[in-house]
Amino acid sequence: MLELYHWEPNTFSLKPLIALNEKGLEFTSRYVDFLAFEQYGLAGLKDVMEVQHNPEGDGPVLVDRGTAMTESFFISLYLDEAFPEVPLRPADAEGRWGILVWARFCNEVLAPAVSTLGAHKYLAPALKSRDRRAAEAALAKMPTQEQRDGWTAALNDSYSNELIEDSRRKLTLSVKKVEDALANGEWLVGHAYSLADIDLFALLHPAEGLAPDILNATAAPRTMAWLKRIRARPAVKAALAASKTGRPEQCFTPGPEHSRWG
Amino acid sequence: MLTLYHWEPNANSGKPMLTLKEKGVAFESHYLDLLNFDQHNPEYLKINPNGTIPALVHDGLMLTESTAIMEYVDEAFPGPSLRPANPEERWRMRWWMRFFDQYFAPSLSMIGWSVFVGPSVRARDPEELKAAIDRIPLKERRIAWSKAIYNTFSKEELAESGRRVAVGTKCLEEALSRRPWVAGSTYSLADINGFNLGYAIPLSRPDLCNDEKTPHIMAWLRKIYARPAAKATWALGRTQMADRVTYLAS
Repeated sequence: MLELYHWEPNTFSLKPLIALNEKGLEFTSRYVDFLAFEQYGLAGLKDVMEVQHNPEGDGPVLVDRGTAMTESFFISLYLDEAFPEVPLRPADAEGRWGILVWARFCNEVLAPAVSTLGAHKYLAPALKSRDRRAAEAALAKMPTQEQRDGWTAALNDSYSNELIEDSRRKLTLSVKKVEDALANGEWLVGHAYSLADIDLFALLHPAEGLAPDILNATAAPRTMAWLKRIRARPAVKAALAASKTGRPEQCFTPGPEHSRWG
Repeated sequence: MLTLYHWEPNANSGKPMLTLKEKGVAFESHYLDLLNFDQHNPEYLKINPNGTIPALVHDGLMLTESTAIMEYVDEAFPGPSLRPANPEERWRMRWWMRFFDQYFAPSLSMIGWSVFVGPSVRARDPEELKAAIDRIPLKERRIAWSKAIYNTFSKEELAESGRRVAVGTKCLEEALSRRPWVAGSTYSLADINGFNLGYAIPLSRPDLCNDEKTPHIMAWLRKIYARPAAKATWALGRTQMADRVTYLAS
């Protein structure tokens, strides 16, 4: 039986929720409140190396037959390989390479940018209304320095202007890349909806509210139409319905680190 | 027609090289001297406008991103499979490749560029170096080369990279103490990736990585270097950098 530990259907948690629904797989949804740091206390999971060193900092965990898996794109890829019915990848090597290249771009450029902008706008204010001592106690127990640094920045809202500007630059670059790719067709890779569309959608869906000056119908008409096409899919609606707050697109974690090479 | 544009069998260039050798796929090897900025020459920019290496050209299709290239090679060509048949082990293979590519490698390369790449090119004419940096197409790569050449890595950045190399080494030792290969029961692209990243760590950081502290990493490195494909790959190296690998034969 598949079990998915996830928070609000946004960014990282959204990806496997969409993939599971697209494939029509039965799974047990385990809702975890990331704002209450519940993800750091999951019995049986918190001692697994790949959970502790989650490259997304905080993100969904899929458990299948005793194995706990992290990294939202790799979880979705796992689902597509383990359950090949309703394929979410092209069959050819070139198309599959294309999906991996999009994923790398997404996790290195787009994901840190959207996470920083979202954490600054929504996560930092949300943390201010919570008990600071409880948050500090949770931080002290986090398994990695990177997670502690990410949450400390959110707790203090210490995002520099340079980092916000750099995040906006990365988002602009990402939107341009998607806009250019959609000049060749309705979907990012080949002629069909795929894991690449799910991967980028999960980060760009909330970006509209974060930077309407960057992502809008004038600057990126094809991207806006693509977002609309994906939102209309029954599986995406079902995934978004897993929300308990009613505002999933305002729920962010500190996210993966920006590249240290600048 | 298959052509690989690469530098020394080291880090990113070595990943597709060893993958092709393991598969037994014949390819034309096109060596570019990274320290001579061959990858930013107009001739190469016609092939890969981003000026990054490695790049693989297969019947007119130009492929970049070394980890994605490895998966492409395994998917597109016959030969022994280098990805586990079991989906769970495939997931683990990819998880570790991301850990290597985005956590471990940037820290190791920051140290490597500071102590090796920078000093190797700094002796040249400053005007010529400036022109060479200006020709780099990607902003990210321009910043990286400037940092290496003018040695502007801060003490804090380098110390942080050192800390991460220690964390990465510890995680890898733990993983290899549980399973014979990185992904699980079979040799995979994750081992090829990890070997290219880590074969020189016992030389650069003998305090962290040695037969006493990390016996599983040492046995794993020797086991991979013993493979004929590894010998054939490192024979394509032209500098002392690649020659270092022979310590694993003892």
